[in-house]
Amino acid sequence: MSFDFNLILQSLPQMLAGLGITLQLLLVSGFLGLLLAILLLLMRISGKLYLNSIAQVYIFVFRGTPILVQIFIIYYGLPQFEAIRESMFWHILREPTGCAILALTLNTGAYVSEILRGGVLSVDKGLLEAGSALGMSARQKFIYITTPLATRLSLPAYSNDVISLLKSTALASTITITDMTGIARTIVADTYAPYEVFISLAVVYIIFTFGLQKLFGVIERYLSRHTVREE
Amino acid sequence: MEVLNGWWDDYFWGAIVVAEVFIASLFLMILFGLIGAGAKLSGSRLAQKTANTYTVIFRGTPEILVILLLYYGSAITLTAIAQIFNPEIRFVDVPPFWAGTIAISLIVGSYATETFRGAFLGVNPGSIEAARALGMSTLQTFIYIRIPEMWRIALPPFGNHMLSLTKDTALISIIGLNETLFVAKQAITVTGKPFTMYIVVGAIYLGFSTIITLSVMGIEKFGNRTSVGAK
Amino acid sequence: MNDNKTQPLIEMIRVNKFFGSFQALKNIDLEVYKGERIVICGPSGSGKSTLIRCINRLEKHNDGRINIDGIELTDKVENIDAVRREVGMVFQNFNLFPHMTIAKNLMIAQQLVRKTPKAEARQVAMQYLERVKIPEQADKYPIQLSGGQQQRVAIARALCMNPEIILFDEPTSALDPEMINEVLDVMVDLAKDGMTMVCVTHEMGFARSVADRVIFMDEGEIVEQATPQAFFDNPTNDRTKAFLNQILSH
Repeated sequence: MSFDFNLILQSLPQMLAGLGITLQLLLVSGFLGLLLAILLLLMRISGKLYLNSIAQVYIFVFRGTPILVQIFIIYYGLPQFEAIRESMFWHILREPTGCAILALTLNTGAYVSEILRGGVLSVDKGLLEAGSALGMSARQKFIYITTPLATRLSLPAYSNDVISLLKSTALASTITITDMTGIARTIVADTYAPYEVFISLAVVYIIFTFGLQKLFGVIERYLSRHTVREE
Repeated sequence: MEVLNGWWDDYFWGAIVVAEVFIASLFLMILFGLIGAGAKLSGSRLAQKTANTYTVIFRGTPEILVILLLYYGSAITLTAIAQIFNPEIRFVDVPPFWAGTIAISLIVGSYATETFRGAFLGVNPGSIEAARALGMSTLQTFIYIRIPEMWRIALPPFGNHMLSLTKDTALISIIGLNETLFVAKQAITVTGKPFTMYIVVGAIYLGFSTIITLSVMGIEKFGNRTSVGAK
Repeated sequence: MNDNKTQPLIEMIRVNKFFGSFQALKNIDLEVYKGERIVICGPSGSGKSTLIRCINRLEKHNDGRINIDGIELTDKVENIDAVRREVGMVFQNFNLFPHMTIAKNLMIAQQLVRKTPKAEARQVAMQYLERVKIPEQADKYPIQLSGGQQQRVAIARALCMNPEIILFDEPTSALDPEMINEVLDVMVDLAKDGMTMVCVTHEMGFARSVADRVIFMDEGEIVEQATPQAFFDNPTNDRTKAFLNQILSH
């Protein structure tokens, strides 16, 4: 049993052709998911019971079920309803890419909102008391004290979630999307060479992950520049 | 709703499979996590490098890819080996249950490595010093001081690992494991109701997640019953 | 000591405060007049911090009335805001905003709460930084300053809002010994300028030299209050005597 390096050299460019789709899924879902997460966070800390409850239920459901099931429900399940098929969203929802982005967004939104909430709760209460003592309103404290500090505190956990999101994009291959994993599976089906193809693909993902970690490291160091003593 | 009649049985057995995977992978995940943590804490540079490589590989590769690689790769390897002994054999494969279980155990195990390592290092050094000063042996210190504090520190992230194992089980349906998602796919070809069928899958997984989350909360309360602030 | 018939600046009438089933303040009656310097001392858990935190509504009293300069402290937001405009606070842990420069720390509340324009806020900030003797630190970040410097900045920050009263919650307890004096000096200075001060502290030297009145609290009650002289040399209550023995014996 030999390791066919030639095959790797042939398949890599094919798989990397899917990089564009992988990136598209990652960036669009990541961005929209972040917006959703902020919305859910504000609902959670709004103090209004009905908003908090709705957000909690949403987060509970989306963190408690496998993302693959969520993808299938949206892509295969929604077309079951005529109302969906005739709505204005149909042209997005009939496309696998649109469904994948929707599913990934809804999923990452739930996780990231909890991460942001953790960051908000970690802000030193004393600083908020100082703000109160100075007469700042709740809104002013949230904007000028909580948000800058919570952002920095959330960053490590957030970077982990972005990496998870990257890995989840591979699931798009299960609904016919030709991202890197989708292409890889086609190649393996043709060549019966799972080791060469999948291992080289894994290396691509690992490099990508490594790059993301470095990027977040830079961002983290930049945001912490005034709060860490240079010894 | 009546469309589900006749399928409840299959879903039930699918859920049993999910539970079986959970138990098997939980055991393996703990094993891999402890070995990995042990290697990282050992002081042997070789062990640390190996463990680090393990962590990087399995935290950076999409879960679905690991599952596919393990399943198809092991089939190819085993077939090749078997053909050495008996050229008549066309195909040997590893049961999807084991390929999938080992795959997800390796993946979540790489996260568990960090959790266990962090828990070990998180034990209050003062407690250890006090124990040694009182004359307790290394083993006694480990059993009576280290471990009780370690499991309490590790519990919240460990709960998350258990949730990951549960949800990753759905991915194993892709290689043919007869769990709930797989059942749903079959049910859909007969009933033509994808939404309904996948929602049931979601509900089953949500049920498992809830049980795990509540159990962890209960154990946390038990663990903290003598801590500051406990009522 | 103030004996003209003006209204007290701070008035606490039969104030009670509970944390769950634990009673932190028991029937507190207190009057503080303009220009007075009050020191509150007592063992930990006696309710000293709770008492002053009720004055600016960082804690909410459950029973009784609190009036600050005639404004009654209730749940009404306008009242709370009005009170906080008159009362400044200095915390044990300084609580400087770590992500803002020293100058910005002093300016932000002026800009947000008093709507002071930026240039003017900066001027006021620099003025008070001079007052606490560290104007050169204006563009540094809190992490770059020593504890004593940070606390002086915190005092300047409270002063920028022109309060009638400043509350000090154990201002020197988190400082290394060699930095305590630089902060106490600033506080003595403030007292000389006639600022009304209520100070929770263990620094008995400060109490003796600066306070108009020393109050001893134990288990949520005001046990004794007197001039420093009477308090330290002739305590009347047994609990006061026991406490003074404990802290003054080394």
